[in-house]
Amino acid sequence: MPETWSVPNTTVVTGANGWLGRALVHRLLAEPGRRQLRLLAHSTADAHSLREFVGPRNGVDILIGDVSRADTAQRLLYGVSKDTDVLHTAGVIHPTKVRQFAEVNTNGTRHITEAALDAGVRRLVHVSSNSPFGTNPHASDTFRADEPFNPYLGYGKSKMFAEVAVNEAVAAGLDATIVRPPWFYGPFQPPRQTTFFRMVRAGKFPVIGKGDQRRSMVYVDNLVDGILAAELTPAARGNGYWIADARAYTVNEIVETVGRALVDEGLSVKPPTTHLPTLAARVAETGDRVLQAVGVYQQQLHVLGEMGHTIACDISRSTAEIGYEPKVELYEGMRRSIRWCLDQGLEL
Amino acid sequence: MSLDADILIIGSGAGGATTATVLAEAGLDVLIVEEGAWVEQGSVVPFSLDQMDQQYRSGGVTVALGMPSIAYTEGRCAGGGTEVNSGLYWRPPGELLERWRHDFRIADFDPDDLLSIADEVETAINVRTVPGPHSAPSEVLRSGAAALGWQHSEVPRWMTYPHGDDATKGERQSMTRTYLPRAMKAGARLVTGRRIDRLVIDGGRATEAIASLPDGSTERITFRHVFVCGGAIQSPALLQRSGVKGHIGRTLAVHPTVKLAARFADELNVPDDVPVHQVKEFAPHLSFGGSASNPGLVALSLLDQWPTFRRAVTDWPRMSVYYAAITSQGRGRVMSVPRMKDPIVTYRLTHADRELLRSGLARLALLMLEAGAEEVFPSFRGAPSVKNRRDVATMQHAFSATKATVMTVHLCSTVPMGEVAERCGADSFGRVHGYRNIHVNDASLLPTAPGVNPQASVMAFAIRNARHFVATGGSRA
Repeated sequence: MPETWSVPNTTVVTGANGWLGRALVHRLLAEPGRRQLRLLAHSTADAHSLREFVGPRNGVDILIGDVSRADTAQRLLYGVSKDTDVLHTAGVIHPTKVRQFAEVNTNGTRHITEAALDAGVRRLVHVSSNSPFGTNPHASDTFRADEPFNPYLGYGKSKMFAEVAVNEAVAAGLDATIVRPPWFYGPFQPPRQTTFFRMVRAGKFPVIGKGDQRRSMVYVDNLVDGILAAELTPAARGNGYWIADARAYTVNEIVETVGRALVDEGLSVKPPTTHLPTLAARVAETGDRVLQAVGVYQQQLHVLGEMGHTIACDISRSTAEIGYEPKVELYEGMRRSIRWCLDQGLEL
Repeated sequence: MSLDADILIIGSGAGGATTATVLAEAGLDVLIVEEGAWVEQGSVVPFSLDQMDQQYRSGGVTVALGMPSIAYTEGRCAGGGTEVNSGLYWRPPGELLERWRHDFRIADFDPDDLLSIADEVETAINVRTVPGPHSAPSEVLRSGAAALGWQHSEVPRWMTYPHGDDATKGERQSMTRTYLPRAMKAGARLVTGRRIDRLVIDGGRATEAIASLPDGSTERITFRHVFVCGGAIQSPALLQRSGVKGHIGRTLAVHPTVKLAARFADELNVPDDVPVHQVKEFAPHLSFGGSASNPGLVALSLLDQWPTFRRAVTDWPRMSVYYAAITSQGRGRVMSVPRMKDPIVTYRLTHADRELLRSGLARLALLMLEAGAEEVFPSFRGAPSVKNRRDVATMQHAFSATKATVMTVHLCSTVPMGEVAERCGADSFGRVHGYRNIHVNDASLLPTAPGVNPQASVMAFAIRNARHFVATGGSRA
């Protein structure tokens, strides 16, 4: 196992009221040594909701601000000690306008890295994505730890430039590391994710072609494990790590496993019927590309366009260098997600 | 004029020379007919224009039509492609042999037999690794792959090093230095400068071959059996010209490659040799290696984007050329056309092939940056030069296979061997289906492109089939 640091006095989390942010905060609150948490929420409403989520607990500061503004990052890291880690999860994936990608994902990351450099924090963990690397060239290809950039549309480009900003800050002296989750799932998911379960229940999840495209996925608690492993491993400085489940699944396997998990949680599931030709995904992808070029983002087109591709990554270097081991696999992770949705009173 | 032999072998490359050796050493009367000339190894600078002129077909490059067109090269000289290639030697992978046996129902095809023939060949042609330090262009591949954690290795080659450990001072081995002299010592006759126009076929048997000489005269050659060993383009073309029916020339398989030139801080160019390292991290789909890089070939690699890349050409001593090769899902065709000397060759890349070429070129560019390249020049029209990782993204965005110079040196599978009627042109031992005494024994027989340099597979196949011919008296009917 690699050498590790102990937890810092202060842990800063951006995007703390987001899906991943909440899963992360949930874990940090349970860790004994985390004395000070400084959480960034995007709006007053978010801050209230986050305060409720945190509950009565000393040492938790919640700030309101927008990472796309430079002063937010300065305020967030004002006066922190050197014994501070920053976990930067803030980002936008399904925006209302295409320009938000650059404002939030790229400029936001640049603001955070610059403020972190000024503050002299111990470590910054930047949450990136598979999107700067696009999709695999064929269904049996797997992304290695280090791959050439090939950003997938607006989101991919903004996350690529965010990684470039992190690398520039590292060159300037910041201690930072990058984690790259592919498609993640699990508790604290936003309402749009229930659509996924509903489509599978109705037998209407769009399987493209033969459904043999492979997808790396990651259960959100595994992702939190990966972020904390990257945070606390000194040797991770300047590197990027895939944080995913142990292997990639085929789309058919995902649909089948989710169906089984739904049935085992007592819900009825219709057999899958929605098989679309590969052409449908290509048409959707082209539509998405054209709309994004004129500044419009259409979520359904985007998701459908991407479904025709393989996005698979190899986590072996993450295991070797930061000791990341995925604990929860797809079936168990999906059961937990379904239970969480039902516990929230969400309708699937 | 006329000639006669018990066995006529057409072509003297990796297939023809090994076939001739096995048959002559078994006491058969063997005549080898070669279209090109006998050129002594060492008398022509490797990878030079002189060599293209003397030892290649059509002065170097021929083109397979398609979108994009694919340029390919074929040796035309005694020893064929073995005289002009890099001599890198890859055994066929065991699981590939097993898949060929199964998918093409090849009878009595024991992968272990093939590999034990490979053992013999490796001794006969002196396959070995570099005795001393590797050349700088080879070291680029090694260090770049090592930095990325990608699997790589030195590929052994047919070489001797009589002048010490210097990697750049080896002497290439080839058919004119190994199997051809052996065949001739055992009594085989070799005649050069004769092109076989067609075989005369009567009732499922070939009775004679019509050859044309440079002076325009023709010559008739009679035989009991003929082995067509002209390579994956010329063999099916000759069979088609002769009216042979069957699965001939319909499934050309190649390893399409795209290239880039990389410039480094220090001089590294080795004009007359190629790197011995290959990167197989993404095999069998994708392989990376080094290309011949004399000044002319460096310039050639910049030609697609000449307006902006020409400034680099004077830096050739600090540059070297590298390739990304793919295992293609596409297929091509060889079609001989009446009254045209050369066949028409077409090849169609699939959507997946194009994606793989793009990804391959990008991964190769990344490897170059990791190896310390200052600037990378991808070979396609409209290519940006690459100086950092962001530029690799720009390059991937600009790339399309139709803008690239796609080329190949590995051509195979035009007369696939086996017993599946709808896919095989020759039987399990290379005899053309439906004909009693016409055999093919070269790269045409490989059922698919092997994903590695094919010459080792060609020699192992040829020796296996020739031995079977000897063992069965060559008279199966």
